[in-house]
Amino acid sequence: MSKGIRQSQSTLHTWSGLLLGWLLFLVFLTGTIAFWREGLNRYMRPELARVERPLTVLDGAQRFLDRKAPDAKSWFIALPNDQVPGAQLFWQPQPKKGERAGRSGGGRGRRDNQALIGADGLPATARDTRGGEFFYRFHFDLYYMPVIWARWLVGIAAVMMLVAILTGIVTHKKIFRDFFTLRRGKGQRSWLDGHNATAVLALPFHLMITYTGVVTLMALLMPWATVANYTDQTKLLDALFPHVEAAERTGKPVPLVRLSALVRDAERRLGGPIGSLEVSQPGDAAARVTLFRSPTTLLNTRASSIVYAGTSGKPVWQSPAPGGAAATAGVMIGLHAGRFADTALRWIYFLCGVAGTLMVASGLVLWTVKRREKLPDPARPHLGFRVVERLNVAVIAGFPLGVAALFWANRLLPATMLARAQWEVHMLFIVWTAAIVLALACKPQHAWSSLFALTGVSLLLLPAFNLVGTRWNAISSLAVGDLLPLGVDASMLAFGVGYLWLARRVAHHVPQTRNFRRERPLTTEHMMQEVAA
Amino acid sequence: MIARATEQSVVMRRRIDNTLRFAAAVPLGYAVASLWGAALARVLPMARSEATVTGTLVALLLCAVAAMYAYGARSGWRATWVLLLLGAVAGGITWMSVTTAGRV
Repeated sequence: MSKGIRQSQSTLHTWSGLLLGWLLFLVFLTGTIAFWREGLNRYMRPELARVERPLTVLDGAQRFLDRKAPDAKSWFIALPNDQVPGAQLFWQPQPKKGERAGRSGGGRGRRDNQALIGADGLPATARDTRGGEFFYRFHFDLYYMPVIWARWLVGIAAVMMLVAILTGIVTHKKIFRDFFTLRRGKGQRSWLDGHNATAVLALPFHLMITYTGVVTLMALLMPWATVANYTDQTKLLDALFPHVEAAERTGKPVPLVRLSALVRDAERRLGGPIGSLEVSQPGDAAARVTLFRSPTTLLNTRASSIVYAGTSGKPVWQSPAPGGAAATAGVMIGLHAGRFADTALRWIYFLCGVAGTLMVASGLVLWTVKRREKLPDPARPHLGFRVVERLNVAVIAGFPLGVAALFWANRLLPATMLARAQWEVHMLFIVWTAAIVLALACKPQHAWSSLFALTGVSLLLLPAFNLVGTRWNAISSLAVGDLLPLGVDASMLAFGVGYLWLARRVAHHVPQTRNFRRERPLTTEHMMQEVAA
Repeated sequence: MIARATEQSVVMRRRIDNTLRFAAAVPLGYAVASLWGAALARVLPMARSEATVTGTLVALLLCAVAAMYAYGARSGWRATWVLLLLGAVAGGITWMSVTTAGRV
């Protein structure tokens, strides 16, 4: 490969990486946490017991909906499993006259038309929290902005990331030798080695997760193949995912069959556990029940489904096997979300995600380290350099502190508080804003170490608080064989120690300079900083 | 004086080259990728919905490849006209196919 090509790809790598690097850091970090979405949903609602008998919960859900919304247009029930603390219900009332009926009757998003049925089959009350869902949504919807804008931003960042990874491979002539090279305490070389190691170590993962991430947004980012073939995008969806037309209400009341019996039958016919079900026109002679296979045992996110007549319990329709291209796209999205992964594989996903987050962070830091050496006067860098340097601190060290604050808010905000779930999230952004102010106001070395130290301490104290302050904690749940709180708390401890170690390293760091004459004043300055810290 | 003028023109030329490469990599690259996605969706010998999904998946990869080519090409001008040509071919295929066979 010619030197010119490598140089040009290196330029593209640097600039595509920097421009959206901060956004990518947030996306990578929240996406990595979101691999534990279901686990965090449970961890952040410590009041709820683990579900042992899912079908009992489903019977309870049916009784509840029969009382609460007997003449609804549709019910949607997400079945519990050993990861989910109950059955989440949504129902959609009959449309009022003049209101257009939607294509699918999920009715999600209407806060007053939902309920949670706990392990005992009764409606459960837990603290109002978004749990792990926040990280999952933030990963592509961000926050405080219209979701379409956010998805465009994240989509563009993901394409940039794909470019950065591909050009990174081209830039790298000795990719495998570099992977085994980690020169410590060598300034720029160490950062470069760290960036390479985290990048190459999980390179197949990074390529997979970035391309499949772009694929999850494909309808938004790349609608042109669809436009060339269809006058309306829903026609493509109908062709790819055929479904039975919505049932019309007859007005003749006939009781619904027992849903748990349908679940058993559908599991046998579809060959795997059922994840959710939808009842259209419950309590009517035209009632229909659609059951979807759970994505926990499928690579393809588009789960197969089966439809039963709601009054007789006879199967009436089953989804056909998808075509090759549709299955490919579905499996790519499945690979991205990792819902099929069991706990061991989930850990591998998580650790690769951590490596990706470190890759983005070290790449951003490398940008400044590399340019500092070329500055005419390293003690007084120009404005652009200072902005990048401080934004790095604000994002890389500031955002994790905000995340720690969210976990604390989940434990400390009063259960009766209005809009409590929103305030948990506001706390993340309030604390992050404070961290950004600190990062912009203080010397970078100071800001790095103090923000890392604060994050480390908050993460270390959280498991301790859980032991004292919550009834359901690592020890009490171990007694009933539930490892989840122990796993989350141990991870918090590990990351807390990691952040404290980083804080110490940064605080004691003496920057290397090539210019020997500058060494003395700089060292004195840093010694003073250390004393002050 | 002359040296400064040459230096200025070199800087100017590099600026034009950089702008061209960026324009070729991002807006033009996206357009070319979209047109090839559309062309594949029209001509691939498979079910219409399958060809559409395949075209979309390939087009997303082409976005990245086009950006890499724009920076790897010998000059910004070359990147621009090569991509314009590639886009015109795909656009022509799509246009002919849509005008003769129509959409559903």
